[in-house]
Amino acid sequence: MNNIPLVIRREYSTRVRKKSFWILTIMVPIMLAFVYAIPIYMALRPMEKTVILVADESGLFGGFDRDDTKRSDSHFASSDEIEYRYAADFDYARRTMDADDDVSAIVFIRSRASEAIPTDACLYYKRDLPPMQVRSDVDRQLQRILRNRLLQAHGISDDEYAMITGTKINLRTQDLETGRETFTEVKTVLGIVLALLIYMAIFLFGSQVMRGVVEEKSSRIVEVIVCSVKPFHLMMGKVIGIALVGLTQFMLWVLLTGIAVVGIQLSNNDLFGVATQKHNITELATKGDDAAIQMQQAADMADLPQIVEGIASIDFGVIVPVFFFFFVFGYLLYATLFAAAGAMSDTDTDTSLFSLPVTIPLLAVILLLPTMIDSPSGTLSQVLSIVPFTSPVAMMLRVPFGVPLWQLWLSMALLVATFPLCTWLAAKIYRTSILRFNILAKFRLKKSM
Amino acid sequence: MKLQATNIHKSFGSYKALEDVNISVREGSVFGLLGPNGAGKTTLIRIINRIIRPDQGELLLDGRPITDELVRTIGYLPEERGLYKKMRVGEQAVYLAQLKGLSRQEATARLGRWFRKFDISDWWNRPVEQLSKGMQQKVQFIVTVLHEPSLLIFDEPFSGFDPVNATLLKNEILELRRKGATIILSTHNMASVEELCDDIALINSSHVVLSGSVPQIRKSFSKNIFEVVVDDGKVMQLSPSPGQTGNELLSELMKQHTIISFRELLPSMNDIFVEKVTHNNPEP
Repeated sequence: MNNIPLVIRREYSTRVRKKSFWILTIMVPIMLAFVYAIPIYMALRPMEKTVILVADESGLFGGFDRDDTKRSDSHFASSDEIEYRYAADFDYARRTMDADDDVSAIVFIRSRASEAIPTDACLYYKRDLPPMQVRSDVDRQLQRILRNRLLQAHGISDDEYAMITGTKINLRTQDLETGRETFTEVKTVLGIVLALLIYMAIFLFGSQVMRGVVEEKSSRIVEVIVCSVKPFHLMMGKVIGIALVGLTQFMLWVLLTGIAVVGIQLSNNDLFGVATQKHNITELATKGDDAAIQMQQAADMADLPQIVEGIASIDFGVIVPVFFFFFVFGYLLYATLFAAAGAMSDTDTDTSLFSLPVTIPLLAVILLLPTMIDSPSGTLSQVLSIVPFTSPVAMMLRVPFGVPLWQLWLSMALLVATFPLCTWLAAKIYRTSILRFNILAKFRLKKSM
Repeated sequence: MKLQATNIHKSFGSYKALEDVNISVREGSVFGLLGPNGAGKTTLIRIINRIIRPDQGELLLDGRPITDELVRTIGYLPEERGLYKKMRVGEQAVYLAQLKGLSRQEATARLGRWFRKFDISDWWNRPVEQLSKGMQQKVQFIVTVLHEPSLLIFDEPFSGFDPVNATLLKNEILELRRKGATIILSTHNMASVEELCDDIALINSSHVVLSGSVPQIRKSFSKNIFEVVVDDGKVMQLSPSPGQTGNELLSELMKQHTIISFRELLPSMNDIFVEKVTHNNPEP
């Protein structure tokens, strides 16, 4: 009689009913949704009207013109969010700011006798640091006005200037065969996230297996169980039961994160609509469509968030199945070894010693991660992504960049082939250790003799 | 169910846990497995349960080699016994019964009866960690006997029980025997051996050093001392002179006293245990 299904059911149901399982299940998507939503929120957040006083000693920035027909190319231009007001001098500006709570900062452009053109300006603020947008707007305006003054002085017309600055070569990184753009940064980040997810999953669920084994041993229930269940069946039931818990958790994470992300996208439709549109245009443009190239230039002008575009360019149809494969088999490989380590331990504190050899390959990959990030297709990355004990983590780093199919298949085949070997070894250790106590003490005694 | 173990050997590395062990347990009897700590009792019990395999030797249940299927007809209460602390009592008992092959419904029905009998029904939905040690012992006992095994093995069943629960347990064991179960009892408690066991085997340093029925063994260790109570209330302990039988001693006494009682003083199992074990392990 085979009792594995009963063991699996117990392992699964006792864990899935724990409060900690559901807290983790709900917290992770909420956190991910926040990470995803914050930049978008920051980009779209309506700003409060900010009033800024300009004290211009040089007169180059429109400081001495008192007429109301200010030319925008030589003055600070107010917008919906930021209103610029001119002040006669710094002292006046300062008194105004003290008196008027609406005024949040002063731009002070100092003039030095030795210089025809001022080289520095200062943004003075009271209480709160002005938001990033305000600071960059002030900076943009300063550069713009200064540039216009210089253009005037050198007799360059606006058209000439537009022609000079508007001509540029656009460098893109693109796959020769598929014609897709690379978006290296986005893929690197995705690779790191996936690699760390696998690493954490193996640790999280592997150590659950180990703790489960130690719990059975230290509570002394194991002898009652092993007279009804073969030790190998007990170990495999536990490993599989916890694998199902892990898969349930990951599915729920993917599902809940998906719902959250789609929700965020729908509520910010404009931003994402344009991103997808641009992505399509990019693909057309690479096929040499003239109209599309023009459209792409127009789209480039729109200055879209690169991240959103990069995410849209990633092939999730490959990444998701590959992720689940390496998650499941990476976990299985390590879980049996964690079970063996647990079987040798009497208490939770012993486990740190016995699990150390098990975790070394995992820690090695994490330490080598920065080197691999530099060159995701380099020799080191290739080797680590094929060797079974490091491949689950290393391969996930490479997958967003695209991995040659033969390497992917080889890595997966080796991982699957190593699993029975590992299980055989782990089962042997498990069977002989599970009813022996004080293995650590006896080991020490032997050494000291 | 009859159990016959012949020529059992088991070593762990260079350590010999059992050497040429032979025991025979009669159907429907209570068999005491005695011996000091580390003698190899638990190893023998684990071999009977097929938790470990002997290096050598044969084990027959009713004349047939023990298979995994037959192990289901054994109920085993180990010395090192525990429960999943976080699991609820009832759920856990059902799980353990299912591992023994009972259906969920059958297990629940039988557990209901036992829980009422032991007066622990209120604890069904509590996590095990809230139970006192005595209550956990009751649950463990119930789980051991629930699938109505025909061979029961209790390893130190009385350790940790208070006298009330120990008596309860003793009565349950006798009740199980009355219903036809064969029982192996491994214990240090020599009083309970005299009270419960029909036969015993004493294991010391991996060998069976003594076996047989309890009255026989006690008789064979007789020091030939008689206790005599006479009518004036005087109690005497007398040994017959060499060559004299008990009857001859009695008839001699009857000439001088009115005899109220005359009985042979047999050594207790405790004395026999101590004598046998210290004799085998002489102090260096």
